[in-house]
Amino acid sequence: MKIIIDGIVCEAEKGEMLLKIARRNHIHIPTLCHSDALPGLGSCRLCVVEILDRGRRSVVTSCIYPVKNEIEVFTHSDKIKSIRRNLLMLLYARAPQNETIDRLRREYEVPDNIRFSGGKNEHCILCGLCVKACQELGTSAISTVNRGITKKVSTPYDEPSAQCIGCGSCAYVCPTNAIKIEEHNGVRTIWNKEFQLVRCARCGKPFATMEQLEFSRKKLGSDHIELLCESCKKAVTGEKLRDIYERV
Amino acid sequence: MMNRTVYVCCGTGCLANNSMDVYKELKRLIEEYEVDADVKTIVKSTGCNGLCEKGPLVKIEPDNICYSKVKASDAEEIVKKTLINGDIVNRLLIFDTAQGKKVISHKDTDFYKCQQKIALRNIGEIDPGNIDDYIERGGYEALRKVLFHMIPDDVISEIEKSGLRGRGGGGFPTGRKWRQCYSIDNFPKYVICNGDEGDPGAFMDRSILEGDPNTVIEGMIICAYSIKSHSGFIYIRDEYALALKNMDCALRQARERGYLGRNIMNSGFDFDIEIVRGGGAFVCGESTALMQSIEGNVGEPRAKYIHSVEKGLWGQPTVLNNVETWANIPEIIMKGSDWFNSIGTENSKGTKVFSLVGKVKNTGLVEIPMGTTLRELVFKIGGGIIGDRKFKAVQSGGPSGGCIPESLMDLPVDFDTLKNIGSMMGSGGMIVMDERTCMVDVARYYINFLSEESCGKCVACREGIKRMLEILTDICNGKGSEEDLDLLENLCHTVEEASLCGLGKTAPNPVLTTLKYFKDEYYAHIRDKRCPAGVCPELTEYEIDEKLCKSCGLCAKNCPASAIRGEKGKPYHINIESCVKCGNCIDSCRFNAVGVKKGARL
Repeated sequence: MKIIIDGIVCEAEKGEMLLKIARRNHIHIPTLCHSDALPGLGSCRLCVVEILDRGRRSVVTSCIYPVKNEIEVFTHSDKIKSIRRNLLMLLYARAPQNETIDRLRREYEVPDNIRFSGGKNEHCILCGLCVKACQELGTSAISTVNRGITKKVSTPYDEPSAQCIGCGSCAYVCPTNAIKIEEHNGVRTIWNKEFQLVRCARCGKPFATMEQLEFSRKKLGSDHIELLCESCKKAVTGEKLRDIYERV
Repeated sequence: MMNRTVYVCCGTGCLANNSMDVYKELKRLIEEYEVDADVKTIVKSTGCNGLCEKGPLVKIEPDNICYSKVKASDAEEIVKKTLINGDIVNRLLIFDTAQGKKVISHKDTDFYKCQQKIALRNIGEIDPGNIDDYIERGGYEALRKVLFHMIPDDVISEIEKSGLRGRGGGGFPTGRKWRQCYSIDNFPKYVICNGDEGDPGAFMDRSILEGDPNTVIEGMIICAYSIKSHSGFIYIRDEYALALKNMDCALRQARERGYLGRNIMNSGFDFDIEIVRGGGAFVCGESTALMQSIEGNVGEPRAKYIHSVEKGLWGQPTVLNNVETWANIPEIIMKGSDWFNSIGTENSKGTKVFSLVGKVKNTGLVEIPMGTTLRELVFKIGGGIIGDRKFKAVQSGGPSGGCIPESLMDLPVDFDTLKNIGSMMGSGGMIVMDERTCMVDVARYYINFLSEESCGKCVACREGIKRMLEILTDICNGKGSEEDLDLLENLCHTVEEASLCGLGKTAPNPVLTTLKYFKDEYYAHIRDKRCPAGVCPELTEYEIDEKLCKSCGLCAKNCPASAIRGEKGKPYHINIESCVKCGNCIDSCRFNAVGVKKGARL
């Protein structure tokens, strides 16, 4: 099946998400809440595009829109640009000090003197990626709490969560760096909970929490887990491969 | 032996006015006086009769007498005079405003005469706690017809031909929905009843669930048979305690009688229904959020690019319909699609139940054929505006509906007309507003409601509504500018276009319709810093017209802030400093002497 995006003919499979097709063809559509590993949120709305489907024009969310027909897509029509500008104005009003939002705001030429009262220290845009990451990992330590304008991401009753293993996946996937993760003297603090870090067996750098390693051990079902940090793991693997190739 | 039945309305409105005491007292007295010496009298508690304004209602059949505003202390008189002697208790009859006199039967009032009851056909006529009452009025006959004389394809064709459209708001053709689900070869399939009625001032679904739960059950079984589903859910909000109780009882009785569960009526077909109690989030009335909620997740909608009929509850094909839609099904099967199709307008068939509330004389529940004009609904059935004030607008379709002005009152009520003028059918709320309603304040009220009830998942809806509320609040406080109106409208369009679900897409309606039809009120707030209706406290001052004031003192008596002073023979005065601008003085004055101060304020 062929679809046309901004005048470019693109090959598409039925049921494939529009955003994916566009990215494969190097057509840029801005997103905040999209992650290839955790797709399907559709909450930031920045990826909206206009489509022409059998003579009918409509606005769709490209990250969750499965292509069914041979449609024509407009990713930067005047209407879409106006919607994105307004969305960025709203996001900027929420998190005026956030770098990611500010960069997008400038890209879409949204003035910085907006009318609304500001959320001063807010960085979270409630995209939900952190919650989804935590859920997919199998911990579900955080969730969205409340609804409407009081919605936020938190642990149950804002207290340190028994489920949290301090892995930091939530902070890793956050598009606006809104989740605070601090490390001092071998202790990691995240979501109001402190975690003792385990040192790498090779370089001695603190690299993971006890709980995280225990969680992985259980999940993998093996008793033996190498206590190596990310870079040492690479180095060791590299050395092993080198040994093998040298022998050959 | 003659049979006589006394029906005591035990809908929520009447219950709140102690109709249960009336019921108990009547029952006790009838036994005591042994009325059943020559006439056998049964007392029944029924669902809501609709005319809640005049409740508690007591109907006596076959005498065709209806008493209104009955108290427990009236029971003795009713028993002695009417039941024993056959006389009418004149003081308890309904006063029909249209005819200007008291009427014996409620059916003689304009309120009932203009109605046509399909979904509400049994309510007020049966005891919802007794399945025999339902069966007596033809209940479960449609199910029998379907199970033994129709194949699934025929059932769906019949619903398709009837032209029935979903009564929950969207108006999607019900038959087409069933057909799509039927054509998908993926099992299990589910049937859901959406009873999460959350619109402020709406109680249609509640009334059906409370007053005639079996019709919903029957409708669902018919659908289940036609799409080959064996499992159904009724989602009822937890606040509806009586609906939950009556539905639970009806499900139990239906199972006992073999209408539900395994091998229904010995046909070999299995289907059972479970009640799910909603936690009170407005957004869970949105079908996909409702399914999330049943699954045990946070009630957040998803995009409907893949329909629920294909991937709904637990990713399986699902038919979800609203309570009122289900209530129509058995009647369509029994009377046929041609009969149903003959009622209503070209694209909106049948009837629609509305909860008529606000500043209207006859508040209550009405079922009218599609195509009835708004004017007939408000002025004939509703009896006009309380205190014969000037009508200003009617708000239809719940918080994300629109405000319809006087000039459009002659339009027929149907799905497409309401949508074309910027409002919507919604689930059927009709809130009547008079000249004492500030339209900017109304827009602010609904946007505030939605700001709390949006699920908060997507940026457009959550942040957009929040900022719309900020602008509207500023305008109500006299801090708005004319540029704000452009920004407000601009935001409305973004929220409309870019929101994920129906709640967000329709949320700007109250703002857009008030901007369209009542822009002068916005200007009065912005340019003149004046609220013409006298509602926004920052922009309002009241005054007493010295020429009209009869110094009766009623305004002073009703003033909660003791801001009104005066003495006999001289006009009263309002002390602006201590006035809290509640408007009680205006509403209580019988001589129209109290009003909102005209002219610009600084």
